[in-house]
Amino acid sequence: MTADTAIPGAVLVAPPTRRGAPPSLRGRRLGARANRRLLAWVFVAPLLAVNLLVITGPGMASVFYSFTDWDGLSTPRFVGLANYAEMLGSGAVLNALVHNVLWTLFFLVVPMTMGLVGAFLLSRLRRGQAFFRVLYFIPYVLATVVSAAIWRQILDPDGGIGAALATLGIPFLADVNFLGNPSLALGSVAFINTWQWWGFLLVIFLASMRSVDPALYEAVRLDGAGPVREFWHITLPSIRPTLVFLGLMTVIWSFLVFDYIYVLTQGGPAGATDVLSTVLYREAFQNQSHGYASAVAMLLSAISALTVLGYLALRRRLGWEV
Amino acid sequence: MRITKRALVPVSLVAAVSVALAGCVGGGSSGGGGEVTYWGAFYAPTTEEAFQEIFVDGFNADSDAKVDMEVKELTTIGQLTETAVSAGEAPDIVYSDGPTSASDFARADRTLPLDEYAEEYGWEEKFLPWAYELSTVDGKVSSVPASYGSMALFYNAEVFEEHGWTPPTTLAEFETIAEEADEAGMVPLGGGNAGYQGMNEWLVTAVFNAAVGPEKIYDVLTGEASFTDPEFVSAIELIQSWIDKGWLAGGSESYFTTDDTANVTGLANGTTAMYVSGTWTFNSLSEVFEDPAQWAWAPLPSLNESVDPGVFPLAIGTALSVSADAADPDAAASFIDYVTGDVDRALSYTARTGENPPPLEMSADQFPEDVDERSVELYTQIPETSNVGYATWTFFPPQTNAYLISEFDKIVTGDLTAEEYLSGMQDAFDEEFDAGETLVPFTPQGRG
Repeated sequence: MTADTAIPGAVLVAPPTRRGAPPSLRGRRLGARANRRLLAWVFVAPLLAVNLLVITGPGMASVFYSFTDWDGLSTPRFVGLANYAEMLGSGAVLNALVHNVLWTLFFLVVPMTMGLVGAFLLSRLRRGQAFFRVLYFIPYVLATVVSAAIWRQILDPDGGIGAALATLGIPFLADVNFLGNPSLALGSVAFINTWQWWGFLLVIFLASMRSVDPALYEAVRLDGAGPVREFWHITLPSIRPTLVFLGLMTVIWSFLVFDYIYVLTQGGPAGATDVLSTVLYREAFQNQSHGYASAVAMLLSAISALTVLGYLALRRRLGWEV
Repeated sequence: MRITKRALVPVSLVAAVSVALAGCVGGGSSGGGGEVTYWGAFYAPTTEEAFQEIFVDGFNADSDAKVDMEVKELTTIGQLTETAVSAGEAPDIVYSDGPTSASDFARADRTLPLDEYAEEYGWEEKFLPWAYELSTVDGKVSSVPASYGSMALFYNAEVFEEHGWTPPTTLAEFETIAEEADEAGMVPLGGGNAGYQGMNEWLVTAVFNAAVGPEKIYDVLTGEASFTDPEFVSAIELIQSWIDKGWLAGGSESYFTTDDTANVTGLANGTTAMYVSGTWTFNSLSEVFEDPAQWAWAPLPSLNESVDPGVFPLAIGTALSVSADAADPDAAASFIDYVTGDVDRALSYTARTGENPPPLEMSADQFPEDVDERSVELYTQIPETSNVGYATWTFFPPQTNAYLISEFDKIVTGDLTAEEYLSGMQDAFDEEFDAGETLVPFTPQGRG
């Protein structure tokens, strides 16, 4: 509407222009936008406060303490990069770091493969799938201390599975001390943790596989593909976001591993199962070297941060979605 | 009900501020008005019940103040307390698993000097001199010892009788029994650290005292000698020889998968010949042995000709202090004296629970009839002998002790030589000694 076509006597109202609404309407919109922003902050504020209190605050404190010599009681003494220099030259930290890397590789390969294959096989079951899903998931809901105690009994060289098999005339495990032999201890703890963990992966993968379009399977079957090709060409690409996410989390969790190792071996025998978390714990709570322990914590955080950044870079480059 | 945005704003702000303030408002001492907070940890529910009745309820009935006890896990109370003290959230009475931790708290001014209370309650006269001396830091009384014990050699009297063995007093006698036990298919010497790496220092304490001797240990603790001296090297090599022969815990691998309970069970069922442990084992021995009369203890044998047999390494298991934040320090000190300062009350607790008594001056006739006679024998022998030594967890500074425990694994696996292990121990000790963080040990009684 323009002034030329205006009806005489009618009140002229300036038409909306491209540059914006009339001042009163624009004000109302701005007010609504501000309200929405305020409302967003209102919802975020409690969570932000919790975050500042229990994550950001202690995190910043750890950064500070990592540059100090502090026993947890007296006044921290600033020592610059001394803790970091000591950490980087420490055989115990290097030993633990190697174990963390081995642990990560193990968990990226063994439980992930077991979970994937198990989920694929279960997805093809027409009856009894729920039973197996529950069966494999049960270990995941057991407390770490409980499952560790069970496995300590099973692997006990005197009264465990080795001794039991020996009484049946199968002696090959009779003298194997899974948790006492430095060469076997780390693998044994990883095995026990896998026993608990793989069922969780299986359930997640299975849920992800269920969302794959059945038409894709029908199409590939018409092309004469068998189960292996179905898995390789349809299933795996379709659940890639889940796979990538769990892979990413596996790397992060593997560097934070503590519970099973502490309960079963406390990092022993002779450091054979030490990981960065057990070194950190020992330095902080047994040696009272809280400053040095904070430096180890910084190393752990840096590894996790690098992992996430690496993932983000891959996603940007390859266009992967999670 | 419709929730408006305007209503949400104050609610949200209040929530955020509350969350933030929750972290700023310290629980601190919950004392005040004669209320005293105390954290206890116990071997068994029956022990907790006895402590509550004898000490807490008894004190609350006899006093205007009121003690509120919170029970923690025995294995973690030391670390929980250190964390709480560090965060300024300690209970009014601060538990320490020995004078070393107590002295750390005192040096950091997290606990109060107790000199006035020591005078008021006469602690210097009540406690054994070495224990009282250990409770002081820089000349001020900083803690009160609540229990003490020692190391001993435990065995099954029936098994010893069957094999015609008597408790060894020398290295030769010890090794003869070990050889015969080994030939009989037994584990000659129990040991291990499964579930609790600290068990490493039980063995090291026993061997240091029995093979190196209290005099030499005293010299090291006062900076006059070194852990790298030949006596210490020989002592560690002696342990290595037992490991190599498969005598200790049945071998190096079994060492890491054997815990205290398994060792006591081994004694009870005759598969383990001897076990070096502390007086805290009295409780579990009586529980595990089908016939509790069959377990027995003997003083440690001499493991070196220059050391007299029968040395008792002394250890303070628990020390109590008063938090610097305590609202009613008088009431807290009064409760500490109630728990530790009365022989009859302390021994009634020992009689009921088997727990170690405080290091009080006491005679055999003061023990109630229902205290196990083997316990009475030990606690009356210790004050009478001059052959007493030093438990590592009581007399060694924290980092040296942490090194001793964690690196001993490598002695068991053979990854470290005795010289390397002891050199690292001396390095850790030098650092703490130079920083003035070591306790002053009592003078060996042989030196007068």
